[in-house]
Amino acid sequence: MKLLIVEDNEQLVEDMERFLEESGYVVECAINYEDASEKLWLYSYDLVIVDLGLPDGNGLELIREMKNNEVAAGIMILTARDAVEDKVKGLDLGADDYMTKPFHKEELNARIRSILRRHKFDRSNTLEVEELKVDLLSSQVYVNEIQLDLTRKEYDLILYFMHNPDRVLTKESIAEHLWGDHIDQADNFDFLYNHIKNLRKKITDAGGTNHIQAKYGMGYKFSTQNSR
Amino acid sequence: MKKRHEFKLLSKTTFIYLIFTLVAFLGSGLFLTHEANEFINWELEHKYRRIEYKTRSVIDREGRRTADLEKLPRNIQIMPISQAPPEDAYPTYSDTTIYISRLEETWRARNKTVAIEAGGQFYRLTMTELVEDYLSLRDDIFRTMLPAFILLVVGIVAFNFLMSGYFFRPFNKILDIMRSYKVGQRTNLEKVKTNTLEFNKMQDLFHSMINRIEQDYRHLREYTENMAHEMQTPLAVIRNKTDNLIADESMMKEHGKTVKTIYEETNHLSRLGNTLNLITKIENGEFDNITQIETRPIIEQHVDAIRELAGLKSLTIDTDLTEEHRLEIDPYLLDIVLKNLLRNSVMYGTDNGPIRVTTSEKTLEVSNYGPPMEDRPDKLFQRFYRNNNHQGSLGLGLSLVKKICEVSKLQITYQYEEGQHIFRILRNGEMPA
Repeated sequence: MKLLIVEDNEQLVEDMERFLEESGYVVECAINYEDASEKLWLYSYDLVIVDLGLPDGNGLELIREMKNNEVAAGIMILTARDAVEDKVKGLDLGADDYMTKPFHKEELNARIRSILRRHKFDRSNTLEVEELKVDLLSSQVYVNEIQLDLTRKEYDLILYFMHNPDRVLTKESIAEHLWGDHIDQADNFDFLYNHIKNLRKKITDAGGTNHIQAKYGMGYKFSTQNSR
Repeated sequence: MKKRHEFKLLSKTTFIYLIFTLVAFLGSGLFLTHEANEFINWELEHKYRRIEYKTRSVIDREGRRTADLEKLPRNIQIMPISQAPPEDAYPTYSDTTIYISRLEETWRARNKTVAIEAGGQFYRLTMTELVEDYLSLRDDIFRTMLPAFILLVVGIVAFNFLMSGYFFRPFNKILDIMRSYKVGQRTNLEKVKTNTLEFNKMQDLFHSMINRIEQDYRHLREYTENMAHEMQTPLAVIRNKTDNLIADESMMKEHGKTVKTIYEETNHLSRLGNTLNLITKIENGEFDNITQIETRPIIEQHVDAIRELAGLKSLTIDTDLTEEHRLEIDPYLLDIVLKNLLRNSVMYGTDNGPIRVTTSEKTLEVSNYGPPMEDRPDKLFQRFYRNNNHQGSLGLGLSLVKKICEVSKLQITYQYEEGQHIFRILRNGEMPA
């Protein structure tokens, strides 16, 4: 999977690049409109992450250009502007998703996965981590071929973890992924513990290992054998 | 303060003008009367002097005894007196009336009595002159002035009454424009055409003031927006860097608490920027896609989204929704209202009973159980008010809801009844059923 990040803040680019490379993507970066336009002309990508506020142009223009040139890549808008018009305009132009800064990298990762799958760049319809297997088409989770009976949110939760294995997911990140802005950040997220306990129990009851560990009271980590 | 009476400008100027006119009328009347009196006196003196002269010359020529009465002027009485009268005894004046039988009228007349010496003899001479003509002419000055003044008053008042509408039409139009002006509406203000200097002055001032306000307002808005936007990228960097620290086990063992605080505060700052920006946009009326919305499906959607979350806090949500309930509001704003009210009730609700979302034909009600507020309830909608137990809260949720209700012509009320916090949204000017 080859990604292009179009973003002018070098610190942010550096972090995103590292993070996405760790997640198994090939990542290239463009720090301005011209650079991005050139790269899109020369190479092909599976997904382009576009910041709307570029020093030498508007990201929306870049999207329009891509669509005119029939670039097949998925498009993820990333912006500091939390403006409804921009969101609508971007999606109308053919962008696949929209995220507002600051964002959780794991959330970005999860959304990239979902875009890639929608665009059929990611041909596998299953996601497997050790004894856990997720059928993405039927939204079912199996432990050693035993089907788990999960609620919608529990399914979202395990998928979020499996998309971001061996990383600490903060409670904020998890809560936001599951409930968006229906949740007030002021909540101490203790209730998440119950949610995760239920999920853990369902997995271990089916004979799975306990992958999900609490970390420093800040969040949880889905650990694989690599880290154990 | 005592209420002061207010008058129309035109009435005021008219009143002052009429008082001035009255004074001027009286003054000129008095002056004219005075002049007339002087003239009458002068004229009479002139006549008296002629009569006196004529009398003296007739007596001098003819002698007293032979004096031909025919030759003496008429309207005199003449009496010889024995000796010269004292210097200051004459002349004397007296007013009298004379009945004129031919006209059957009594006319006013004036006598002048003098002492004359003629033919070596002293006489007392009394001359009578009719002054009716003069006096009635003089009195006419005032007699005509009063009706003229009344006519003037009536005329001016009527004229003002009829013309004030016409003269003040541009003024009232300018006032209407001023009244309907809203900051940030951007539309060019209509310029009222008038050739009245004062109105033009006022209008020009108004326009330049509005331009200045608009400019300031634009700057402020740009500042707020830029602030909110430009903050987000650095915040994203800080958050990502913090994420990197969180991934570092040895680091977290030592500085876990510090990193946690940095992470949380960064999130707080970011949400603060976004929410304040949203409030600014709402205040600017940028969400004007007002549509009539049947609320039931939307509320159901929101309740479903949050039900499981509430369940994790052992809270249940009961709904009693009617299809009759409709609101005229921007759909995006309705989402924010519902999100915030539900979020609020989930955050503060206790498990003494369910969270209730109810709609009737006119009202939307969201209630949750919980201990009463420690502060006065009206503080609830203030910006940055938050319950002590939720220090991490932005304290902007309910003020956001309130702001949206204001711009959408809705009213929101809060009540605490039987252990429940109840928020109720009504259309402006309606009473709960």
